[in-house]
Amino acid sequence: MGIETVPGSFRDPSGFLFYKKNEIFRQINLTYKENYDELMSSGLYDELVEEGLLLSHEEIADEAKKDESIYKIIKPEHLSFISFPYEWCFSQLKDAALATLEIQNKALEHGMILKDASVYNIQFRDCRPVLIDTLSFEKYIEGEPWIAYKQFCQHFLAPLALMKSVDERLSQLFRVYIDGIPLDLASRLLPRKSMLSFSIATHIHLHAKSQKKYADQSVSKKRHAMKKLAMLGLIDNLSSAVRKMKRQIKSTEWGEYYQGTNYADHSFQNKQKLVSDFLDKALNERSKIVWDLGANTGVFSKIASEKGVLTLAFDIDINAVEQNYSSNGTNTDCSVLPLLLDLTNPSPAIGWENKERESLIERGPADTVMALALIHHLAISNNVPLEKLADFFANLSDNLIIEFVPKEDSQVKRLLATREDIFTDYHREGFEKAFKKRFSIIASEPIEKTDRHLYLMTKI
Amino acid sequence: MGKTKNLLKVATVIAIMMLLLPAQAFAYLDPGTGSYVIQLLIGAVLGGAFAIKAFWKNIRSFISGITKSKKG
Repeated sequence: MGIETVPGSFRDPSGFLFYKKNEIFRQINLTYKENYDELMSSGLYDELVEEGLLLSHEEIADEAKKDESIYKIIKPEHLSFISFPYEWCFSQLKDAALATLEIQNKALEHGMILKDASVYNIQFRDCRPVLIDTLSFEKYIEGEPWIAYKQFCQHFLAPLALMKSVDERLSQLFRVYIDGIPLDLASRLLPRKSMLSFSIATHIHLHAKSQKKYADQSVSKKRHAMKKLAMLGLIDNLSSAVRKMKRQIKSTEWGEYYQGTNYADHSFQNKQKLVSDFLDKALNERSKIVWDLGANTGVFSKIASEKGVLTLAFDIDINAVEQNYSSNGTNTDCSVLPLLLDLTNPSPAIGWENKERESLIERGPADTVMALALIHHLAISNNVPLEKLADFFANLSDNLIIEFVPKEDSQVKRLLATREDIFTDYHREGFEKAFKKRFSIIASEPIEKTDRHLYLMTKI
Repeated sequence: MGKTKNLLKVATVIAIMMLLLPAQAFAYLDPGTGSYVIQLLIGAVLGGAFAIKAFWKNIRSFISGITKSKKG
């Protein structure tokens, strides 16, 4: 039937995701029939969808009859972008963990349980975490333990504890350990005082020791049943452990944003207006997604999102991502998704066959890319030739809104203060010449009272 | 007779296991023995704590219900 399976959807024999005519579907195998029916008939699906905790879907009538191993084909609600935990800030991972536990509690209330607790099953939609895997539920059998307990600790609890108690940049361990942070590693990296927390001492330190002690051994499940009360106590404790985790915020942390720039209020407003005008020209009714690269705390991302398109606000600074995400709670507009990204080393493809989690570029293209106050960081700090920058942006989108920051600008002077200026073609003419190889310049305007220029370009 | 009884026992055990197997077929994750053991231990402690917590919560809401109705 001309389908292409989604490479990251192969572990669970209950079904898999596939593309057909650029739309995504999920096959549910006959082996999962009983659990799927229970999810739908118990009221759990309706409640979770109603509360925005589970992605909704519709059943596709005809396809399932073509193969007897297929029970149903469903079409999940469309998500414009899939993000990964190594692109999230602390609060995003924390919210994802709490959503998983809330779903687990609701499942238990309906006689079901989460059979997996993968961080990759959670995505952000309208600022909130949502479970995207419809096949994550199975009937709860009293006495059985939570099969996904280890996975929850590796995918959520351990990385959160490390980010909170050691360094938030340790979220990057997700890039190496696709099945979450190994608990023995988390236990070694966490400070000794973490032993004083009952939850961390048991769920991570003792858990790691128990894993080592019982490696390659088996136990009789019949003799060691887990009562429902114990299960509820376990989930309650994990929830309160996650809820109690707070970032260590230094009082001056947020003070620096937009203070180190050389914008007077007037220039800043002029830039905002120009960005808005250029977005109006670049976007049309079919536009769904804008990528704002180097978005900082998302001031310009919001201009794009207010035009009704999902806007990804990428930044290299985890504090900027955190501030942007936290401000979402106070915004009525929820179309900005802040994400962590080092453009000089963007998220690679990882996992089985290097296909399980797509690279950043594979998750494109965007309808429009914004690169504001960014080019000097890439061209000068990272020595990327202008032609290569043009190639990179052309790979990401057909439309580009880019700010050229010349050597006369104080920010560039600062970058060149400690190094030799080897960038002979880094000037407006050189920039235009390099970018004209891949783009047509639709409009360019000086940003008032600065040496900078804003460009709107479309790919040739 | 003894042999037949034993055979019956074994057959019954196998039949029960066969019945249990389909439920386990969905467990594509390995819970890990160490994780399983520690979960049981922590669960035993936390289950009791959770019961006490729920008990006090009920008492508190019962008392606050009485005081509220008295005030009302």
